[in-house]
Amino acid sequence: MPVSLTPGAIAAIRGGDVDAKPLVQVVDVELIGRSAQERYRLLLSDAASSQHAMLATQLNGLVRSGRVRKGSVVQLIDYICSTVQNRRIIVVLNMETIIPDCEMIGNPKMYPETDTVAQKVPPNINSGNAQRFNNDNINGRNPVQNAQNFQSSVQPPHQANNMQNMQSFQPAVQPPYQPPPNYRNRGPIMKNEAPARIIPIAALNPYQGRWAIKARVTAKGDLRRYNNARGDGKVFSFDLLDSDGGEIRVTCFNAVVDRFYDIIEVGKVYLISKGSLKPAQKNFNHLKNEWEIFLEATSTVDVCPEEDASIPQQQFSFRPISDIETAENNSILDVIGVVVSVNPSVPILRKNGMETQRRILNLKDGSGRTVELTLWGDFCNREGQKLQEMIDSGFFPVLAVKAGKVSDFSGKSIGTISSTQLFINPDIPEACSLRSWFDFGGKDAASLSISREIMPGGSKNEIRKTVSQIKEEGLGRSDKPDWITVKATVSFIKTDTFCYTACPLMIGDRQCNKKVMRLGNTRWLCDRCNQEFEECDYRYLLQVQIQDHTGLTWVTAFQESGEEILGFSAKELFMLKEQDDERFAETVRSKLFYQFLFRLKIKEETYGDEQRVKITVVKADKANYSSESQYMLDLISKVSR
Amino acid sequence: MDIIAELAMDTSNPAVFVNAELLGRYVGRKVRAVIQVIRNDGTAVIGKSTDEKQMIVKGLPPSQLTTFVEVIGIADGQNSISADKWTNFGDNFDTFTYNKLCQLANGEYQHLFL
Repeated sequence: MPVSLTPGAIAAIRGGDVDAKPLVQVVDVELIGRSAQERYRLLLSDAASSQHAMLATQLNGLVRSGRVRKGSVVQLIDYICSTVQNRRIIVVLNMETIIPDCEMIGNPKMYPETDTVAQKVPPNINSGNAQRFNNDNINGRNPVQNAQNFQSSVQPPHQANNMQNMQSFQPAVQPPYQPPPNYRNRGPIMKNEAPARIIPIAALNPYQGRWAIKARVTAKGDLRRYNNARGDGKVFSFDLLDSDGGEIRVTCFNAVVDRFYDIIEVGKVYLISKGSLKPAQKNFNHLKNEWEIFLEATSTVDVCPEEDASIPQQQFSFRPISDIETAENNSILDVIGVVVSVNPSVPILRKNGMETQRRILNLKDGSGRTVELTLWGDFCNREGQKLQEMIDSGFFPVLAVKAGKVSDFSGKSIGTISSTQLFINPDIPEACSLRSWFDFGGKDAASLSISREIMPGGSKNEIRKTVSQIKEEGLGRSDKPDWITVKATVSFIKTDTFCYTACPLMIGDRQCNKKVMRLGNTRWLCDRCNQEFEECDYRYLLQVQIQDHTGLTWVTAFQESGEEILGFSAKELFMLKEQDDERFAETVRSKLFYQFLFRLKIKEETYGDEQRVKITVVKADKANYSSESQYMLDLISKVSR
Repeated sequence: MDIIAELAMDTSNPAVFVNAELLGRYVGRKVRAVIQVIRNDGTAVIGKSTDEKQMIVKGLPPSQLTTFVEVIGIADGQNSISADKWTNFGDNFDTFTYNKLCQLANGEYQHLFL
């Protein structure tokens, strides 16, 4: 046998020795798929005994990639052994593969389960090889040397290949073997009342026996009351961060809320123990931890009065604003930037009928991009108001956003959610470097907004297509709308309904523009603003047919692009139609057959049962013949090659 | 109801798109070129071709000439045209694109032009 496992390793671990870092062999690998979580159970052997061990999920990749498989000889680096329901369960938190593939060493027997914690190591010597191995180690304090001796003395020819592997490999530190403590003369084991040792948050898992964590509260949620089939209840959660950077959410229900709600304060450090671990609810919990702690009646939460400088106040993983452009819709991320503009709060009617506040502000960072940040609810009055005052007095503060949600409603923007936290001018290095960047030139640096409906940047990110390509390539069918430019000619404009009556009232910095209803003969009513007025606005809602050398299609043009195409305001045309229908028709006809560069937004939408591709004209530019010619010259040069 | 009249195009004597460089190839043939007017003395116009070389256009220029003019006539030298048709092309003209057109029309896409 070319390698020796740490003798008695299994018994040592069961005995509570978690520092030995032994060499063991994986006898079996089993996938336990109890829940959505993938968990692997290994059968580890020290050549004489074997024991099941659970693999921490962060190591799942080792099994998946084949680094750890049946027969692998591994060194356990970080591991624990706890008692769960009278059984000793080993959990491996960190391990290293020494030999990925090796013949079975020894003839290990499953470790018998008893109630007592410690066992005497019964070496099961069945095979000749194991015998020899044991003999060499009987006086052994230095298994490393023994292994080497072993290699030189025993050279079974069929193991030649393995020998090759062995010569080149340097075993990781194999600590001297120490026999397990012999408790045979003691009585039954008493319950250990000593305080549980503090472990890193990253090591928490449901199979952990007794644990304690020391961490700082980074966020405290609101107390929420709910009502479900089981009756009334209340719940609140808070987030913890420890000195290793591990984060986890803690949730309390009902009576437990009363115990801890007032004790928990953001920024203070607590020692927490005896909670239960359950899978985290990814919908609400955006922390990087698959588990969540639920505190119970027996849980303990002790505030640590001394300041622990090893635990940071907050943990961020900022992304540059340019990354947001390609981020997935609804994903959660942290971002930091300088606030360059703040808009006033506007009341918004939500889908559930409730009214809330909304504020839009713009963040700029060194990546050359600006993004819109939408504040909802209380953020508008708290941080939003403060930022507004700072901007008004000419100062541009740095704002850090933790757990903002990406939205792709108009370009890409970030919105606050209930678990978002905003930090104005935080005392962190990223804020300082942003401040100096901004003050020394960043303020005037060119920056593209990724949040506007009309994507600026013109020719840089313009995709030119022909009309037929819209259908051929199935544009608009993916989750996101497609933005393209088409050079085409207006061939028909629908005139029966070309505009609608719109609300002229202002909501914040934007016009309401909702369709208004007629009251009697002279007044109009807008149900969003809940106001009546005499004069309404007229806005374009044009159905236009455009054509190029490949085909024709219908598009919808709204106010701005409508004015570009027709050259008149919607109101003027509306009046004209009322007065002189014939002249109106002629005017419209005279606008046909003009060529434009249409910037189109294409998106497939469901109307009842149908899927229809909706094309909107975002901008209609009169073709600039000079640049068009350049474009075509470029195309020509590509064709001939 | 519109009556669509078929307008026959006279393709019997096409004018070749030229710049100064290409002019020499078509001496004695009907050519067309756009030039930038440098000097006009009533009997001839000294102009700059779209490839930045001097060109002389003989004939009777119209009374008002804009900065850019298209002339159609017979090439009668390495850098002169005897023009019988003058068309004002205004004060803004993309000479680069026109020059490219001349090159393409006399190069690989010659067959597309009459």
